[in-house]
Amino acid sequence: MNLPDPRSARAFHFVARSFAGGVANLVYAFDDGPELVERISFPSAPGAPAAGSDALEAALDLLHWIAGISYYKAGVPAGMRMRTTQPDAATASFLDALYLHGLGEFAYRNQLDLRGRIRFPAAGASAAGDAQSAPARRAGAAGRELDTARVSAAPDAAALARQRTLVPIGGGKDSLVSVEILKAAGADATAVWVGNSPLIAACARRTGLPMLNIGRELSPILFEYNRLGAYNGHIPVTAINSAILVVAAVLHGFDAIAFSNERSASSATLEYAGQPVNHQWSKGWAFEQAFHALVKSHVAPALDYYSLLRPLSELAVAERFARASRYDTVFSSCNRNFRILGPRPADRWCGQCPKCHFVFLALAPFMPKPRLLGIFGRNLLDDAALAPAFDALLEYRDHKPFECVGEGVESRAAMAALAARAEWREDALVARFAEQIAPQLAGQVPSLDALLQADGPHHVPAFLRSHVLAFR
Amino acid sequence: MISIPASLPTPAPWVVAKFGGTSVATRERWEAIRRIAAAHRAAGRRVLLVVSALSGVTDLLKSITEAGPDEAHCRAVQATLIERHHALVRALELPASTALEYWLAELDRLIADPRRTRAALDWQAAVFALGELMSSTLGAAFLTAGGLKTQWLDARDYLRAMPLANQGDWARHLSASVPVQPDPELPEALAALGEVFITQGFIARNEAGETVLLGRGGSDTSAGCFGALLKAACVEIWTDVPGMFSANPRCVPQARLLTGLGYEEAQEIATTGAKVLHPRALGPLRRAGVPLAIKDTNRPHLAGTEIRAAASDAAPCVKAISLKKGVTLVSMETVGMWQQVGFLADVFGEFKRHGLSVDLIGSAETNVTVSLDASENLVNSDVLSALAADLARICRVKVIAPCAAITLVGRGMRSLLHRLSGVLAEFGTLDVHMISQSSNNLNLTFVIDEALADELVPRLHALLIRADALRVEDGAVFGPSWRELAGEAPADAPPPWWRRQREALLLLAAQASPRYVYSTTAVRGQAHALKALDAVDRWHYALKANPHPDILRVLHAEGFGFECVSLAELTAVRELLPELPAERLLFTPNFAPRAEYAAALAAGARVTLDALHPLTHWGEDFAGREIHLRLDLGIGRGHHDKVRTGGDGSKFGLALEDVEAFRELARRHDARIVGLHAHLGSGILDAGHWRSVYLQLAALAEGFRRVESLNVGGGLGVPSRPDEQGLDLAALGAGLAEVKAAYPRFALWMEPGRFLVADAGVLLARVTQTKRKGGVRYVGVDAGMNSLLRPALYDAWHAIVNLSRLDEAPAAMVQVVGPICESGDVLGANRRLPECREGDVLLIAQAGAYGASMASRYNLREPASEVVLP
Repeated sequence: MNLPDPRSARAFHFVARSFAGGVANLVYAFDDGPELVERISFPSAPGAPAAGSDALEAALDLLHWIAGISYYKAGVPAGMRMRTTQPDAATASFLDALYLHGLGEFAYRNQLDLRGRIRFPAAGASAAGDAQSAPARRAGAAGRELDTARVSAAPDAAALARQRTLVPIGGGKDSLVSVEILKAAGADATAVWVGNSPLIAACARRTGLPMLNIGRELSPILFEYNRLGAYNGHIPVTAINSAILVVAAVLHGFDAIAFSNERSASSATLEYAGQPVNHQWSKGWAFEQAFHALVKSHVAPALDYYSLLRPLSELAVAERFARASRYDTVFSSCNRNFRILGPRPADRWCGQCPKCHFVFLALAPFMPKPRLLGIFGRNLLDDAALAPAFDALLEYRDHKPFECVGEGVESRAAMAALAARAEWREDALVARFAEQIAPQLAGQVPSLDALLQADGPHHVPAFLRSHVLAFR
Repeated sequence: MISIPASLPTPAPWVVAKFGGTSVATRERWEAIRRIAAAHRAAGRRVLLVVSALSGVTDLLKSITEAGPDEAHCRAVQATLIERHHALVRALELPASTALEYWLAELDRLIADPRRTRAALDWQAAVFALGELMSSTLGAAFLTAGGLKTQWLDARDYLRAMPLANQGDWARHLSASVPVQPDPELPEALAALGEVFITQGFIARNEAGETVLLGRGGSDTSAGCFGALLKAACVEIWTDVPGMFSANPRCVPQARLLTGLGYEEAQEIATTGAKVLHPRALGPLRRAGVPLAIKDTNRPHLAGTEIRAAASDAAPCVKAISLKKGVTLVSMETVGMWQQVGFLADVFGEFKRHGLSVDLIGSAETNVTVSLDASENLVNSDVLSALAADLARICRVKVIAPCAAITLVGRGMRSLLHRLSGVLAEFGTLDVHMISQSSNNLNLTFVIDEALADELVPRLHALLIRADALRVEDGAVFGPSWRELAGEAPADAPPPWWRRQREALLLLAAQASPRYVYSTTAVRGQAHALKALDAVDRWHYALKANPHPDILRVLHAEGFGFECVSLAELTAVRELLPELPAERLLFTPNFAPRAEYAAALAAGARVTLDALHPLTHWGEDFAGREIHLRLDLGIGRGHHDKVRTGGDGSKFGLALEDVEAFRELARRHDARIVGLHAHLGSGILDAGHWRSVYLQLAALAEGFRRVESLNVGGGLGVPSRPDEQGLDLAALGAGLAEVKAAYPRFALWMEPGRFLVADAGVLLARVTQTKRKGGVRYVGVDAGMNSLLRPALYDAWHAIVNLSRLDEAPAAMVQVVGPICESGDVLGANRRLPECREGDVLLIAQAGAYGASMASRYNLREPASEVVLP
């Protein structure tokens, strides 16, 4: 195929979107280049609202705009064109922020400055007056400001306890902790995941919850563009998944979507060109807050989007995960996408990526050493060659890796706890920490207990709060 | 219907036959049990059947014992259990059984029992016991209904558990011990009741009259106890496998069935890893002198493994290699422990206090290291942490895990050490944490990292056979291999091409000697075999194996590209095959100088880098170019450590931790990484190897946007010894296809060398002189290590025949040596050949790869010339 280089395109077009037979087709293009079609397949939903229902249309619009980021980034052209409905001003400013911050790491890696470049055309503000602002029309309150506070008419606690919750499963420890919290609270929860990862499917089966699997196919032309040297890099995949789940919730009649992003997801990895860059921006509080409000004001006032683990640190999540061993042989937080599952730990944990390193370290203070080593199949803290990798986690002489890992203080606290434990302190990296690093960090190593306290803002529904906030 | 012979006399011999959970779970299996019992009965033996709970039932009962206050869960499980057993009643076409309902009602009572919430140990044992009580009840009814009158016995009336010193409450109830010795009155008392009996495994009663359990593998223990009590003629353990093997057959398909073993060896094998028999079953039988047989329910005609007292004059020999995973080492370091009176007592006192049982022990002046076996306790409680904290008060403690203990088992291990040098060399590049050898001389154990164990065991097994330490030709000990039993053994290989061309070869040898002869037909045959693997998109011939122009032409005609490791190789291919598109040429050198890369790029070949240096220092040479990256995935593989090309000790490949730096350099210089490559070793016969490499590369490649191809290297092994199994190409193809389906984005490339040409070449040499020195006989030939270096370099084994006397019977054992002034110039050690005379033509087989291509003029002797047959 002879493809034009998306990097020299003038504009990125939101061409069309359709929904039929449970499949959403999201169509994009650069200038007059080939159509990029992403297909998202939802399992059949008896009693689903008919296409054309206001909530479903609003959810699909949102999905179309948000999922465009995968394609937009291939060229980051200066223009954005809506050949479909146009977002209202509030939605457009939400999307501007999502594209700017969600592509922060991407911009840093590609040495691009996206500030001022991303501007979604908003209904009323655009010269192309043919497209009307659909959400505004449907919400019946054109131009209404986004309300970031919790909706005023909150359902009572009993009603909340009956709410049907979608809990997205990622295969890692976080969502499994959420599952166990929801189960303990007696919530009516369904495990949901996007894509066909056998590892996630195995975890979902292990939860014992009802399951929902959503298919997602990227446009193959995107791979062609990549091959030809289009811009590539990290995208805010949690935002895309969130938008997909909003559609699923509307289709299947769910009242809540409980993600599993924790407190440290909000902290920046580094600063670039005067701007904080956060690898996991769409897992952070700012995104959750804005999206929570947007869903309520534009899609369905009763649909609750939140992160169940928001007030918890990574360490607190690790401590909770360690309480039950039911997922030991199926879960993995490793970065590699294991498409074929095998029985050995090495078939789920590469042992070489920062995620493996961090999760190992975070779990170590909370579970018996043989159990942890059984999960990973090796002792990462007794491998002297990994010293630089763990230094980065400790934010010692290095910045935190571009990964969904905890904050430096969490790694430090975990390491300090291990240094005090007889079964760990002779291991190469623990001994090194105690002898060489800890003395230089005096006063900068908080206690484990301090980090295990729930803290900070969150949207956790009232009936789940005691289950999340309870300390140990 | 079974015919019932006349009743048996009272002193008729007894057989105890034990059946596990899967053997009692279906009607089909119960029919098999009935046939086995009836056959014994018909042969004049009384039979006691010992049965486990239906498969899965013990786990369900366990979940009840762990449910605590969650009654809803217990009731749900109860419903499942009722349905499981009722379903079997229906399948067995039995009338509603009041006996079964009695046990189900007992389950109902036990769930309602207040002891449940605190999981009282006596209550737990009573719950667990129901599984066996129910299965044996159904069995008695089924066998009797089928015409084989079967008496049901409550095992608890016969097996009396006694507390051991140091035994905790948990073990007294759930892992109890039953001391037994033959009871001369019991056979007689039972004979009065009938001829066929059925009872429960796993359960007994203690002195207080409470039900207790015999722990893991308790049904085997029960069978052993009953065998000893009755002084049975034999105890049979019926399972789903043919018996004990020289290694775990799932991991080593070449493992041999062990047909005859002594009690001690069997116990050692069972203790160190084999799961087919619980070691506790053997103690009572050894003392009572009762033999035990392991038999396959699906193939009752097979002899299985028979365990009895060993003949005292049996020659020492390795019987098995066992693997135990999940081992934790505790290493304790102190200064001058021998001067510290009571140090060891203090140390072991801590283990005792924490209830941990030590397995292996290694000690030195300042260090004691012990091993702990995997146990639920260790994994799910803080016991290790508490132990370490207490030990830390008296010494420095280091916990090393997860480890695996690999044990060689056999009587007289110490007298076998001299044979093990090749086997021990295999541990050379690994970190061996501990070695242990007990004074009973039955074992030799190596503790290594667990991750290494699965791949190491098959190699060690092959090496033990090669070293003649595991003497598989001894029919009294070793039976067929697992593979043969599974019907997977390949048909006898066709005779090699050179047998059919003997006359032509003798003629060629008469013209000139020494001489390499190649068969292009044989090369083509191998190429066709590989091309049948659909998953591979592109084949490349690694021409370093043999760059003879005729061979290159043949493979070019077969559609192969070429893998070159030097500029000279690249140039040679281009000159020979000018029409070949340059992009079919891989340039995959190692530590080559800058100019070679530049020349290869200029020629349009696909260049592979395997270090940071080229991009760091010559980055501009690669600007705008497509490059491939060779990775070192960690542990190398191969038949000799000189052919291993993975791991820190190997100079090949980029370490995984440097990948990010490499990508950064590539970005900076605008070099596009379009392919990933890994080649971990040579001579690999395990078809699963490339699947694993492919899988690792694919998972890595997903993070690279421009990668289009994955090259999983070569290293396809060619069996050299008669007992070696060839590479299973079908399995290789299936493994690759599986990964391909999961990662369709990447094209799959391979680059075999030796596989294509090894068997296609032979080296002909003439006998120069013969000599006898002491007991050793030498046959000298005119070809030496300057023609064929592999035996000296890799300890490679090449078949050698006397082509002039091909039909004569082998005579003496000889050393086939060359004329080079090196003591290592030995082409074949300890070969049985017909009497060789000066001028005879010897044929050294499998010399088509790395023969002529490695030849030299050492000693200024010209190496063998080359000639090609069609």
